[in-house]
Amino acid sequence: MPEKAATLHAHLDDFIKDTLSRCTRCGKCFEACPMTRYGDGLSKADPKTVVSGVLDWLQQTPGNEESVQWLKVCTQSSRCIEACPEGINAMKMVRVGQMSAMGSLGLQGAPALSGREAKDFFRVINAFSETQMTPDEMARWQR
Amino acid sequence: MTDKVTFWYGCNVVRHGDIIHSAIALLEAVGIEVTPAGGAGYCCGTAKDGNLRAAEGMGKRTVEKFNEHGTGQVVSWCPSCYRHMNAFMGEYTDTQFQLSHFTQLLHARRDVLAIKLTNRIERKVLLHKHFGFHEVDVNPLVEDLLRLIPGLELVETETTVPGHMCSALSRVPAALKDATRAVCDAANGAKADTVATVFHSCQRLLCALEGSEPFKVVNYVNLLTESMGMTTRDDYKEWKLAGSEEAVVAAVGNERIAAMGEKLFRDSILPELLKQPSK
Ligand code: SF4
Repeated sequence: MPEKAATLHAHLDDFIKDTLSRCTRCGKCFEACPMTRYGDGLSKADPKTVVSGVLDWLQQTPGNEESVQWLKVCTQSSRCIEACPEGINAMKMVRVGQMSAMGSLGLQGAPALSGREAKDFFRVINAFSETQMTPDEMARWQR
Repeated sequence: MTDKVTFWYGCNVVRHGDIIHSAIALLEAVGIEVTPAGGAGYCCGTAKDGNLRAAEGMGKRTVEKFNEHGTGQVVSWCPSCYRHMNAFMGEYTDTQFQLSHFTQLLHARRDVLAIKLTNRIERKVLLHKHFGFHEVDVNPLVEDLLRLIPGLELVETETTVPGHMCSALSRVPAALKDATRAVCDAANGAKADTVATVFHSCQRLLCALEGSEPFKVVNYVNLLTESMGMTTRDDYKEWKLAGSEEAVVAAVGNERIAAMGEKLFRDSILPELLKQPSK
């Protein structure tokens, strides 16, 4: 068993290396995606081209526009995982591609994607908690 | 499986205290000693893909706290938390526990649960299903649980929608709209009087359909606890259904608005409560 990574970045590096070494760019993950009709031009996009773009993002190189569209419409439906003949977690591949396109892995320049976190996320969570939990529950369950 | 578990309910579910309290009551009803944990202090960091340093800090902190609980079993409610623990957090932390999903645990003890479900619930129920939670096949588990309720008629439906829950679709508004339309069509086609949601974000995003559709929207855990004789109240749905700004403010009440913080309520919470589902 390979040793566990010590940090999230180290794990992502391992995941990227493994994916790049095994992915054949067959495009089956993209073909299985139920969301392609929601992305600009994705219905007619060449699956191999889209996947090549995602792999570019994994290598810290801006991918093609088709790949950006796919990153944008992924809603984590998992169909790509079942479709991959190489056993790659293609949904995670897309997610890491999103991270790269957000600039989270170190790619410089204007990010192609913005973060997913809602405005005031934790303040809103805490505010709703105040209305739905007793002070005792807050103290015991949420600290 | 051990009788002691940490019940990790997550962050966004805190809008629905009724779901959290029902879920805990159900675990206790099947003989499990529950240590609940959730809210911002137990965030998995899944929403922090734009800031991985923060995501890592949250992930490590949450895993450390679970290890300190010492139960050896973490039972997750939220499919995003479950997914994030499996695919990311658990890959760089020393997890000293097994992870399972709430539906799996309850389903495994359904014989014990069935004895507690004594109240008849005369409803015709359609389960709102997503197909994206590949880690755990929750839909048949929940359908089995709902079939335990005396009086409840479960509609057979092939309608399933993308994503692992509705919040995943909200990033693609046209897809959320299609999914919402699909559940309305399926429920009305079957003449169901109730749509049961599996996850909190579906309850959050669909509950206001009650204002324009002939069916009720209820999370399945509340149907189970109702059959156990427990009363729950979905405040969030009441607030969403209030309608106008004045009515929402009156429904939430000054005391709770003060507890939330007036400015935060006006800036972030009120707009959320006024937003109606698109279909
Ligand atoms: S299906 Fe698998 S091997 Fe084929 S392109 Fe997608 S990730 Fe690569």
